[in-house]
Parts: sequence; C-alpha cells; structure tokens
Amino acid sequence: MSIAAQTDSCPRQPIVTGTSVLALKYKDGVMMAADNLASYGSLARFKDIQRLHPVGKYTVIGAGGDMSDFQYIQKFLEQLIIEEFTSQDGHDLGPAQIHEYLSQVMYSRRSKINPLWNSLLVGGFKDGKSFLSYVDLLGTTYSATTLATGFGAYLAQPILRKEVEGRENELTEEEAIRIMESCMKVLYYRDARSLDKYQLAVITADGVKISESRHLSTTWSFAEGIRGYGAQTQ
Amino acid sequence: MADMVSIPHSQPQQHQFNPYTENGGTILAIAGADFSVIAGDTRQSEGYSIQTRYAPKVFRLTDKAVLAVNGFAADGNMFVKKVRQRLEWYRHAHAKDMPIRAIARLIQTMLYSRRFFPYYVYNILGGIEEDGTGAVYSFDPVGSYEREACRAAGAAQSLVQPFLDNQIYFKNQTPAPGTSFPGHLSLSTVLSLVIDSFTSATERHIEVGDGLEMYIVLAKNSPSIQSLRDIRGMSELTATEDGERVFVVRRDLKKD
Amino acid sequence: MSIMEYNGGSVIAMAGKDCVAIASDLRLGNQMLSISSNFQRVFPVTDRIYIGLPGLATDVTTLRERFRLRVNMYTIKEEREIEPEAFTHLVSSTLYEHRFGPYFISPVVAGISKTPTGGIKPFIAATDLIGCINFAKDFVVSGTASSKLFGVAEGLWEPDLGPEDLFETISQTLLNAVDRDAFSGWGAVVHVITKDQVITRKLKARMD
Repeated sequence: MSIAAQTDSCPRQPIVTGTSVLALKYKDGVMMAADNLASYGSLARFKDIQRLHPVGKYTVIGAGGDMSDFQYIQKFLEQLIIEEFTSQDGHDLGPAQIHEYLSQVMYSRRSKINPLWNSLLVGGFKDGKSFLSYVDLLGTTYSATTLATGFGAYLAQPILRKEVEGRENELTEEEAIRIMESCMKVLYYRDARSLDKYQLAVITADGVKISESRHLSTTWSFAEGIRGYGAQTQ
Repeated sequence: MADMVSIPHSQPQQHQFNPYTENGGTILAIAGADFSVIAGDTRQSEGYSIQTRYAPKVFRLTDKAVLAVNGFAADGNMFVKKVRQRLEWYRHAHAKDMPIRAIARLIQTMLYSRRFFPYYVYNILGGIEEDGTGAVYSFDPVGSYEREACRAAGAAQSLVQPFLDNQIYFKNQTPAPGTSFPGHLSLSTVLSLVIDSFTSATERHIEVGDGLEMYIVLAKNSPSIQSLRDIRGMSELTATEDGERVFVVRRDLKKD
Repeated sequence: MSIMEYNGGSVIAMAGKDCVAIASDLRLGNQMLSISSNFQRVFPVTDRIYIGLPGLATDVTTLRERFRLRVNMYTIKEEREIEPEAFTHLVSSTLYEHRFGPYFISPVVAGISKTPTGGIKPFIAATDLIGCINFAKDFVVSGTASSKLFGVAEGLWEPDLGPEDLFETISQTLLNAVDRDAFSGWGAVVHVITKDQVITRKLKARMD
C-alpha cells in the first residue's frame, strides 16, 4: 500500500503512544497528572515528553494515545487561540468551549473513519467554576469529578473516586498532590508502559501552572521474595 | 514448483477501526391521556467500566416534546444537537414550536438520511400532541417509527418491556367480572411503574443504575398537576407561558 | 446460531410461603419453525421435587432418563427419598462430568425440603449447562426468555406469597415474558408444590 493511500483514507494505528492521564476536582480548581513517557510499542522511546499542555489562559489538555496526533491537536488549538485573540471581541475561550471544539473535531474525524487516536482530558477553571471533561477518538464525551484515561481508568479511577467523591469542596492542594502521587505510583508499579517521571498541572483562579517533572520514589525489595513465576521457580 | 516463491498471503489482519461503541443505559416512555413521562438512567459505561454516574440521556426539546436517546453516546449527543438546530430554524421560520408529530417525522428523515452510516441510537420521543393527548413515538436507528402508548429501549429493554405489557396494556390479565380496566392510567400510577421498572432493571442489569431522570410533560391546564404536588425532588423546566408544562424528577438508583 | 436456542423454551421457579411453583412454556421449535405446542420439559422427581430442563430437546430426554436412574440408585442405596438440596447437587455433578462437552440444558429445580427440626422449607435452584448452582431465595429463571423473565419477576414477585397468589404471580411472569420471546410460548404449564399436594394447571396462552 502506498504511503499516500495509507494517510489519505485508510484507518491508521497509533505509533508513538502515551499512557494514562489522571485528573480530579479539588477545593481551588482542577489538578491533572501524566507521566513523561512516549512509547514505541514496548520500547520506552522518548522519556521527556510533555503530555499536559496549556491552551489559552484557563485550560490544560492531557493526552493518552498517539503523540503525533496530540501534537497536531496542540497545533490547531494554538491557531484557534490566536484567531480568537486577534478578533479582540472581548471574549476568550474557556475550558468548556475548548472541550466542545475538541469534541466536534474528534467526532468529525471518527465519522470520516480517520480518527485522531487519543483519549483526552480537558481541565480548567474560569469565572469561579471548575471544569473537567473527557473526549476520545470516537467522539465520546463525559464529565465527572474524577477522570482517568487508559490503564488509569482501571487502576487509578477507583482510588480517585474513593478519595475525592463528595469531598471536592474540601480537598486542599496538598491532599490532591498526595492522592495524585499515590495513583501515579500504582500506575508505575503495574502499567508496563509508564514512567516514574511525571508532571502535575493545577488550574485555579490564579491561572494555569504546570510543574517541572517530578520523580516517584519506589521500592522493589519485595521482588526478592516473589516465587512461582519468572526466571527462578523455587 | 520448487522455484515458486510462497508469499505469505495474508498478514495478520490489522485491526480495523470501529467507529461505534455501546454506552449502556436504558430509556423508557409512557403516554397518558393528557401527559407523557419520558425517563432514562444516568449511568454511562463502556464494557465493564463506568465512565460517569451522571450523563443525561433525556433532553427537553420544546415545552411539548422531550427526546430520550440511547446507544452510542457520541452519536446520541450529536443527534440531539442536530435535532435542536432544526427545531430552532423552524422556530425562526414559523414563530412557533414544531408540533410533536412533525418532530417525529423530522427525526425519521434525519435518521434515514444516514441509512448507510447510521446513528447507532435508539430514540424515544414523548410529549403532547396538538389535540392535547399524551404521545410516545419510538424509532429504530435508521428511522422506522411508530406512535404507541409505551416503550422501553436500551440495555434493559428485554427486562422492562414485558413488565410494561403486563402493567400498562394489562396483557394476559382479565378484569374481574362486572368490572373493566381503567381506560387511562393516572400520572401517579405511571410514575410508580417507571420507578419500579428502573429499580428492577438496576437490580438485574449491570449497565443500569446511578441515577434516574423522569421528564413529565403536561397538557395545557392538565388536572394531573395535582399528583405532582407532593413528588420528592421535582423541578419545573417550562419556558413559555400558558401552554404545556415540563417537569423533571431526579432520583438515586443503586450505584453497584 | 446457538445450540441453546435451537429448540427454544423457558422455565421459571418461585418460592412462596411454605410452597414453591415451577412453570414452563410448551413450545418445541426448530429454530424459527414451531413444531409442537405440547412439549413437556418439567418432570416430577419425587412427590415434592420437580425439575425443569430448558435447552436442547434431545438432551431433555437424555437427562430426564439419567436423573431418573441416578435418583433411583440414590433411593435404593440410601433407603429414603432424596431431598431437593441433594438432588440439586446430583444435577450439578451430572452436568459437570461433561464439563468439556456439555449437555445443552440449564436446569431449574423446585421442591419442598425438610428441616432438621421437622419443619418444611421451600427450595428453588438453577444451574447453568455445566452445573454451576444458583441457590436463590426469591426466584430462578432459565431458557431463551430468561432476561425477560428476570425483568418481570423482579417487578411482580414479593415475599411470602400463598399458593394461590404464587400461582398468579408465576403465571403472569411466565406468560408476559414468553409473549416477548420468539422461541418460547405456545401454551404453558404451572406446578404449585405445597406440603401435601401438587397443583398442576395448564395455561391458555397466545398461540402466535
């Protein structure tokens, strides 16, 4: 098959991929987390990739799935923000508008059987209100007080729900960081396509802040005691 | 034959992109003499994962029409968006809301226009007809439709519909000698049946639960308003004056 | 198409106050073609135990005979009548013997069991085609209309029904469920088992 035919109409597959993204609502706004790994199949190909990306003044998007599709999304959202700015009409795009726009793009691409192969979380804070929503390659959308994509949906979401549901308005930033860190640790232990290097984003009334890369400290001494599978049998 | 090169003639097929998924949940509508009840649960799921405990499947279109959508959520949301856009154009052209039987026909043509790449959605439209009677229209994904008194659709359709046959149409029942079945059910009876249907479906179907939203559309000056007085968790959504009225009742369902 | 749906048919059992009921439709089909409206798939095991065998019709016959043999052997060896609990385990192990080439039947058992204190207890149970037992306190369903039976039963059943009310409840549940199932219907039979008698009634049903 020619390259042209492949990119024109045929459905593709994700190549360089990111894994889970986590997000939760807390007292002051929204917090998101994603590690810095972009995998090439089972190869840990790029270990310093940013998967949390600010859009405008009030919003962060976090992506799992194909990283080149994600960078394309970053590019056209940047263009959107510039166009919105240059019109100088006294309006600017908040997280709800960006999520709606993204949903329409994702849904129309799936309807052309040429999807952008991502699961995205959109988090933001504008006019005193938190916003947190999901959209994926099928155009499926939903929102909740805690969200997780990829393996995070199985491994982290139950922990997030237990810690956050019903406490959205009392959780402090410190507590939120602790919860995120413990979830990222669970993911690093059990998700083979994850990394112990990750970033946090907080979106509050003060605007968007994306942290420097943080390191997870883990212990592996217990591995010595595991018997029954792997190289050694007894 | 020895020099023939054998070409591996089919590589393990690339997994083809599937533009559809199923997001669970169930919807239900029942028509009365001068009212209509349209209900849906609020769980959205994919496979064994609950994506969210609150994603509405029932939408107020006008003061006399409410639409419930179930199936592939992305298609459902897009479909509701497009129906609403068409209703707004109608409003701008005719300075009135589209009557429900016209909305039903509109939905048919919109669904059938996607005959060869369907919206993977089951629709149930409920509301009040121009003559003031309660109406329910149900559709298949490609636009076949029918007006009826009651319909369940979605994940628990097979659990709920036979129960409704029995309790709404009195199927397999005979009235006691000298008596007859009520011609029309009262609003309070219908609301109880809707709640029972969803609690039953929640008990036996994993994709149903979390929350219940019941929309109630009342005909102009309907006396059924009386039975809404003491309903817990009710709020009014009516937009226009002295016409049909729309209410919503929200209840919790089991979350397991 | 699934072998479990080849002949069609459904069975339900419900527990009441000091009584149980078991009911089934009477259809025998070849896929979408109806063959008989008088096909029996509920059989007495003892005076107080009935078993329903929805699934592949040929296996209904085979299993009925197999269970008859095994119950007779049990009665001879133990010199007493088998209890519903023991019989259910007998059913389960018979099916599990064929774990990797099963009989295509998912049985329903209904009976009245004796308690150690000399009282009686309603007993119902169902298994899947390889013998996984479901002991339920309220009702059990099986066959091609099982999801419909679940829905209606969950809506109509209530605890501690007497024999007459239980008969009405199980009849309505079965009739309304099979009327929405293309593979079940064409008549029905209900057995209400109490401490000292079994009432068997044939129901008039939709024949379309």
